[in-house]
Amino acid sequence: MKMDYLSLLVVLPIMASIFLLILTSRLSAESRKKFDSSIRMASLGITLVMFAIAMLMFLGQIGDVDWKGIAFNNYEFKESYVWIEPLGIEWSVGVDGLSFPMVWLTTLLLPITIIATWNEKAGATYFPLILMMGGALIGVFVALDLFMFYVFWELTLIPMFFLILKWGGKDRKYAAQKFFIYTFTASVVMLLGLFTMYFLMDTQTFSMVEMVTEANGANTSGVWLGLEVQKALFIMLMLGFLVKLPAAPFHTWLPDAHVQAPTGGSMLLAGVMLKMGAYGMFRLPISLFPHALEEFRFVIMIIGLISLVWGAIVCLGQTNLKKMVAYSSVSHMGVILLGIASMQPLGWAAALFMMFAHGIISPMLFAVCGAFKHHYHSMEIGAMRGMAKHSPWLATSMMFGWMASLGLPLLAGFVAELMLMVAYWHAYGWWILLPGLVLALTAAYYLWSMQRTIFEGGDETQPPESLHGEPVPDIANSEKLAMLLLAGFTILFGIMPWIFLDMMDIWTRNAMIFLGFGA
Amino acid sequence: MDANTFDMDLLQTLGPELTVFVGLLLIMIIPNLGNGKFRIPGTQIELPWFLGGTRYKAVSSPRLPGLLAVLTMSLALIQVLWYLLETNADGSRANAVANVISSENGYEIFSVNLFSRIFEAIFFAALLLAALASLDRLPTGSVKSNDIDVLFNNRRQADFYILMLTSALGMSVVALAQDMFVLFIGLELASFSTYVLVAFHKETRAGSEGGAKYFIVGSVASAVGLYGLSMLYLWAGSLQFDVLAAKWATDGASSLSMMALGFVLVGFAFKISAAPFHFAAPDAYSGANSPVAGVLATASKAMGMLGLMRVLLLITVPDSAAEDESAVWIGLLGVMAAVTMTWGNIAALGSENPKRMLAYSSVAHAGYMLAALTAIGAWNWGLVDTGGDAKDIVVAALLFHMFVLVFFKLGAFLVLGLLEMEGGASRLSSLSGLGKREPLLAVAMFLFMISLAGVPPMAGFLSKLLVIMGIVEVATGSGSLDSLMDAHWVWWLALLMVLNSAISMFYYLRVGVVMYFHEPEEGREGPLASGVSIRLAIAVCAIGTVAFGLVGGELIELCRDATQYLG
Repeated sequence: MKMDYLSLLVVLPIMASIFLLILTSRLSAESRKKFDSSIRMASLGITLVMFAIAMLMFLGQIGDVDWKGIAFNNYEFKESYVWIEPLGIEWSVGVDGLSFPMVWLTTLLLPITIIATWNEKAGATYFPLILMMGGALIGVFVALDLFMFYVFWELTLIPMFFLILKWGGKDRKYAAQKFFIYTFTASVVMLLGLFTMYFLMDTQTFSMVEMVTEANGANTSGVWLGLEVQKALFIMLMLGFLVKLPAAPFHTWLPDAHVQAPTGGSMLLAGVMLKMGAYGMFRLPISLFPHALEEFRFVIMIIGLISLVWGAIVCLGQTNLKKMVAYSSVSHMGVILLGIASMQPLGWAAALFMMFAHGIISPMLFAVCGAFKHHYHSMEIGAMRGMAKHSPWLATSMMFGWMASLGLPLLAGFVAELMLMVAYWHAYGWWILLPGLVLALTAAYYLWSMQRTIFEGGDETQPPESLHGEPVPDIANSEKLAMLLLAGFTILFGIMPWIFLDMMDIWTRNAMIFLGFGA
Repeated sequence: MDANTFDMDLLQTLGPELTVFVGLLLIMIIPNLGNGKFRIPGTQIELPWFLGGTRYKAVSSPRLPGLLAVLTMSLALIQVLWYLLETNADGSRANAVANVISSENGYEIFSVNLFSRIFEAIFFAALLLAALASLDRLPTGSVKSNDIDVLFNNRRQADFYILMLTSALGMSVVALAQDMFVLFIGLELASFSTYVLVAFHKETRAGSEGGAKYFIVGSVASAVGLYGLSMLYLWAGSLQFDVLAAKWATDGASSLSMMALGFVLVGFAFKISAAPFHFAAPDAYSGANSPVAGVLATASKAMGMLGLMRVLLLITVPDSAAEDESAVWIGLLGVMAAVTMTWGNIAALGSENPKRMLAYSSVAHAGYMLAALTAIGAWNWGLVDTGGDAKDIVVAALLFHMFVLVFFKLGAFLVLGLLEMEGGASRLSSLSGLGKREPLLAVAMFLFMISLAGVPPMAGFLSKLLVIMGIVEVATGSGSLDSLMDAHWVWWLALLMVLNSAISMFYYLRVGVVMYFHEPEEGREGPLASGVSIRLAIAVCAIGTVAFGLVGGELIELCRDATQYLG
């Protein structure tokens, strides 16, 4: 029998998580403690199996796919089953050069997240929720049916809502509800746009493949659905994705959610969930409405610039480490928008690689924040004075994370930023000075301030006050392992970006030709 | 079939209704059976007479009426489901032909078909779950006790379930009726039963207040509706649906018929608690016993919706002669839908009483349903190519919505019912700590809440999706638009609907927050009262909520097949 590995990647973690959650709820408090570690191990095991599957897929051991030869709107590992027959809704999965890197990234981050937060309290419900989150995220990336896409899109909200609510910080209720409502509002507007599109097109299908085929056929000779309608639908769909991304001015949910979320939640939120927004943009509005994209490219560029600059400037003023990382995420998501707006194959590839690189670097930063909070009971940058003397591991990881985030050469983030700058120069000429200067200045400022707070000041004999006289810790072995892994991958993709960049590049080139942007 | 031939055919056709009727008689008789004997005069032969004497042990249990009601309702529901699901060998529906019961002079009285049977399934399912939940819900005492309260409570058991069954009977008459007058009789039978059920907690202030308000407003609405009916009769000379429809088709709207239509609408709008006739609903829901409130929000509302559908879609159908080929009432109904959904949601934001919150959420849902009806009113609009397809989608969406609503709306009320057994569920804080006290119950409640809000993969998402889909299909017309401004204005109702679902997220999520992240109230720690049957009912609701969301295809198919019998 032929295995449907993609569906397995979606269904396995969700089923396992439901099973574990039911099991946990039936246990008494004592036996819950007893089974706690086995549930942790089981969750880790499942995520490792998932990573193994994704890895084997990538290496061609499963399916023997030529990842660099996938044509636009063609998918590998494609499977579909009838789901809700009267509406023509199918359970339909497949991956291409756009979605596979994200699937792989998700399967990579899941075990790392579990390792990094190995000692999280109430693990018997925490780890199953992480699993469910992972399954839903992969579901978003592999769905080839609009209904299925939307179902998983919304399903990601539920475990995240609970992760923030149960394991979050002081204002977690506000943050969780804000997070849920912002993204829910945007996605229902998107849903209405999807339906309007559904009834306006000829084939009336939920299948993304057929939809893109129809749109392309019509777009080459004229404008599919007419320019006015295309613009309206483009706005409705983009709204859903921009809020998720998030781009200014819809980004305010993100700092709140991040600051309050537990470490694991933040890692997945920044690492994968934000990328859902960028992924959705490429998959739907850009592939379907290239004419509208051309109309709005300048608007997208402005939104991207605002996100980039605003994120960076607000970031400068933060005293809370996690908030600082969150705003730097907003800034990086602005870079993705700039890449899209450049309308160059290189720029789109830069956007895709930025998604990927940020997906590895930002979890590392959040893991650092988590470890810091865990050991120093504070998130204030002021509490870090002289941290390097007490917790050399933590200080090194933090420094490394920031450098990667700011685009130090030979690390993954640099590749994306460099590509973007080149593409942006081609598209907008001297406008490049604005993002370029902002990036350079903020980078300098961070490095200077980090150096000051982490390495200077403080006294070896006098540990920080927030410890209240407890012995000075360094991070636990599980945290060390997670950070080493993330740092390793950051270096790996900095030196050998082509591992995934090649398939992204092929995808963007094919897409550009297909959508009629030349290239 | 003629009504005067009282034969097996008739019995078979009206099986579920007759089952309810027999059950009603049994509940009245059985609890009174005794071991009295009748001695034939002049002999020593004693025949058991059953009346008088000491009551049998088996029939003296105060739980008996409840069990009988549950049994009756499940038998009726099984027959209805059998009718709906029976297929021929080739997989087509076995009951594809409507079975019309007419009077001697040819007036159609009842029509048994998929459409009416789906509504009956909704009514019976809701009432069955409510009756099942009430088994543990109503206090009873030892039979031996002579305490006046205990006697009183035990006595009331039969009354409660009799009223449940009479409302089931009334509702099924509404479902089958082919004549406005018959429909109205059914409506009143069901309404009067629910008035009493709402006021059943007359010891409490909220109960009597809610009951009184509901009765007064309800009877005024009924009277207005009846007045409208008399005008309709004056206008057409008959209250038969087909006669009225034929008259409407030839004569079109006149001032008399429009006024009549308006009055009749008021009667039904009260039943579905549409603004501005919804004011009694929150008081009634919060005063009533939770399962009863659940019935009001599901079965009773479906009944009002059915009436609206009959009047608006059967009689005053969209008029192809009209200027834009839509029904005369769509403007009015569109405004009503917009006001109802927005008002309901905004009012729900501020309610601290979970039952009032659910009542307002039910108002909001009424708004969504009205929006769907509005879309059908415009169904001729530019749909030359697609024919009546859009109408079918919207009607099927409405049926599906009302069907699955039974699970998650009633389920939410039942969870509150379980809390009430412990002592009150009138503050949001009564729910606090439920996640710790009863993990599974809290999960069920959370599922109901997100289903009400329309989050996938719950049934509520699928139903809302179908409604929006239908509206959008109508609005986009035959498929090519120059811009969205050219779409029919019902498209903006769809937009308002999705924005409203976003607003509703606030108060549905708040329930989740309270359940999981507030500490239990003082003295309300630990698990709740056991109550096997109410928990069973909640479990059924939770399973239905998830199952119909994941695999709702069959039910959608059924609803779609049923739409052709609307008329």
